[in-house]
Amino acid sequence: MIRDVIVQGLIDLVGRDAALYRPEDLLAYECDGYTVHKRAPRAVVFPTSTEEVSKIVKYLYENEVPFIPRGAGTGLSGGAIPLSGEVILSLVKMRKLIHVDLQNRLAVVQPGFVNLKLTNSVASKGYYYAPDPSSQYACTIGGNVAENAGGAHCLKYGVTTNHILGMQLVLANGEIVEIGGAPDMPGYDLMGILTGSEGTLGIVTEITVRILKNPEGKKTVLAYFDQVEDASHAVSDIIAAGIVPAALEMMDKTAIEAVEAGNFPVGHPKGLEALLLIEVDGIAAGIDDQIDEIIEVCKHRKVTQVKVAENDRERASWWANRKTAFPAMGAISPDYLVQDGVIPRSRLPEVLEKIRQISEESGLRIANVFHAGDGNLHPLILYDARKPGETELAVKVGSAVLKVCADVGGSITGEHGVGIEKQNEMCFVFTEEELEAQLCIRDVFNPNNLLNPDKLFPKPSRCAEMRVAR
Amino acid sequence: MLLSSVVEEARIQSIKEDSDDIGNWGEYLISPRTEEEISAILKYAHEQSLSVIPVGGGTKRGFGGTEEKADILLSLADYKGVVEYSEGDMTLTVRAGTTMQELSEYLGKHQQMLPLDPMWPSHATIGGVIAANDSGAKRLRYGSARDLVIGTRLVYPDGKVLRTGGKVVKNVAGYDMNKLFIGSMGTLAVLTEITLKLRPVPKYESLVILHLPQVQNVLPFAISLLDSMIEPVSLEVLSPSTNFLLNGKEQYALAIAFEDVEKAVHYQEDWVHTHKPENAVIDHIDQEDARNWWRRFSELAPAVIPGTDIDSRIALKIGSKNLDALDLLVSCHELGEKLGVQVEAHGGLGHGIAKAYVGGGDLAKYAGFIDQLRASEKAAYVIIQHAPLAVRRELDVWGKRPPYFALLEGIKKAIDPKRILNPSRFVGGI
Repeated sequence: MIRDVIVQGLIDLVGRDAALYRPEDLLAYECDGYTVHKRAPRAVVFPTSTEEVSKIVKYLYENEVPFIPRGAGTGLSGGAIPLSGEVILSLVKMRKLIHVDLQNRLAVVQPGFVNLKLTNSVASKGYYYAPDPSSQYACTIGGNVAENAGGAHCLKYGVTTNHILGMQLVLANGEIVEIGGAPDMPGYDLMGILTGSEGTLGIVTEITVRILKNPEGKKTVLAYFDQVEDASHAVSDIIAAGIVPAALEMMDKTAIEAVEAGNFPVGHPKGLEALLLIEVDGIAAGIDDQIDEIIEVCKHRKVTQVKVAENDRERASWWANRKTAFPAMGAISPDYLVQDGVIPRSRLPEVLEKIRQISEESGLRIANVFHAGDGNLHPLILYDARKPGETELAVKVGSAVLKVCADVGGSITGEHGVGIEKQNEMCFVFTEEELEAQLCIRDVFNPNNLLNPDKLFPKPSRCAEMRVAR
Repeated sequence: MLLSSVVEEARIQSIKEDSDDIGNWGEYLISPRTEEEISAILKYAHEQSLSVIPVGGGTKRGFGGTEEKADILLSLADYKGVVEYSEGDMTLTVRAGTTMQELSEYLGKHQQMLPLDPMWPSHATIGGVIAANDSGAKRLRYGSARDLVIGTRLVYPDGKVLRTGGKVVKNVAGYDMNKLFIGSMGTLAVLTEITLKLRPVPKYESLVILHLPQVQNVLPFAISLLDSMIEPVSLEVLSPSTNFLLNGKEQYALAIAFEDVEKAVHYQEDWVHTHKPENAVIDHIDQEDARNWWRRFSELAPAVIPGTDIDSRIALKIGSKNLDALDLLVSCHELGEKLGVQVEAHGGLGHGIAKAYVGGGDLAKYAGFIDQLRASEKAAYVIIQHAPLAVRRELDVWGKRPPYFALLEGIKKAIDPKRILNPSRFVGGI
């Protein structure tokens, strides 16, 4: 017998097979990709249609029960972690590709549809979906919308918000609305504010996305450096040469050590200080000239070795090596915490130096993997949760790194979101008035704070504490 | 008025002459030179419940609004110039009153550009372009304001100065508040600074005008082009009258622009030559000539241009699913013939926005034109981007309220509860 009337009510709505409520069944929903904080939800329900989402939301809204939408649970900032007995609406059963219209270059998907599956579904026709977070084999497009996910190729092609054309949405009170659908719809850009709102403004139940034609040509360059500074300068020089690479990635010594010990080693030489992975795509006739220019730039910056991928297989192996950098940390450290700061590209050398100092002072190793082209750093803080106090230290180190990013005019998150992880760090980049202005918008969509409550924004009292003169 | 207590008297001008036929005028014209002044003016207006119309170059004064004048016409025209330019980061922070032309001249010296091609760059300011979300044919490749604005500074109706976004190209900290103000028609806040993502100036550019004697040849060709791997910057259909104005040939045409390294540009031009319909004729220009052509293109739209007579035509913006822009454009052309009005139209296949400039008619004809266009299933919306005040008062500028209007209204109420900014300028009377 179920004692929780809310759980019973949910089961009445969706059926016993579409709800989890036994403590042992809830374990998998205690956290997402951010594992520092864990708490069980009150229940998990698995709606299969927009109408069902709407019914569930109406029920929860009327009973004033807080709730959280969840996709694959790959989020890295804890946005899908329950804080106080929320009900989770898992959207993984809404995973259909509803419609593809190649002539108008769009596809309509349900929120639980996996990112990479979309590209796979249209690849035979020569099309793809551009945003490519490293977790794209697992993460869902609904989750991508909530987080405004990026990826390695957003330097040239933009992040999720640049690829969303329309959405169907269940509001906090259960009402279903359609927004977007044509470019520049008259009215305030609700799609723009929804994308990246981390599940606090509505539950997206259908998404129309832009798909792109594969570029005619693509070449990938791998360049090794003896000094991080040389690699940083090479990044700036490539951009200054008027080249817009499709991707421009960098890894430092510790990161290289990890990926070589991970599942997809490519045999990078030992003792490297930095490597760049650079991809140029577009009209085939124009690519070779750009590749020559990139190689010249690297040589000018004392590259020790620079090579162009000979075939798709080699390119794919380089990318697999790079894209699995986070999990590869497991090969060299029991635990790791990934950060997501953004800096103006031109400040790279000084920021890396400061991160090195933070690492030295704390005694925790930091591996750096990042989208160098757009200044999005992923410092991976390596620690051992079994050692008392080290988890807390890692969290503190992460925050210190974000402070460095904020202080050079950057941001505390480029693609992972704020979630619960960076709530207090919001004060590094926004004033109280600016946070208040954002909360006013939340109140328009989510007046009772039932929808993914208490995420994203700092607790009011914490700001003064966190803020240091800006 | 005690405005002189919040802003230097020299910045305030009482407008003696009557409003022209356009409206959106003010009792007082105030041209602040600092953000503090802008903030002080709004704070004062808020306290006194005075209505305020923010204005830049004034080109869009005929866009929305049913009032002859507000209490204050707040001109940002003197609040201009570059605040911060980081060449290596390809980002720029600029004051709202800077014209698009000033901006491209500044950036051109560094071989960079803001890839946004709105109408009348010589007069339109960046603040106005962003507030009205104007864009041009090249959005096919480069996107629109929402893809390029990474941060703003703005003043809320009560005088609070706030920032949205940031100064880096990738940023998901908090809500993407930038988006709220893009296209908000100055109904939420006054933009003072805008931070933008730039691109390198393309190493080479060209424009292929493909004249198509049969309209039925346009769509199959456009579809094959979009399904190919070439990457045009524009794929803009020109109606016969528009093509005649720009290129002297009265038939449908496609304006296909390429911007890339020179080899890649020529390769793509060759593709068009090889794949064009048999009876199509090609005009081909490049570099300076192409830039001049685009400048003329950007001046097709009726707008309020200082020192010239009021343009009594109406300008329509029509949104649709990408390829449907062609049908809508053809409808505009045919409606023009049926109703006996002069119509120039163009629209982007691949981005779904068409424009029609309608003249030589009266209110009844314009109303008929718009009603019939709005009745088309393919038109997601038809809005009036420019019209004299008398026309705007009779015809619905924005069309009917969307089903989610309560959210729009909620946002307005949350930010401008006293409705002092641009009252009734926007969708559904917001």
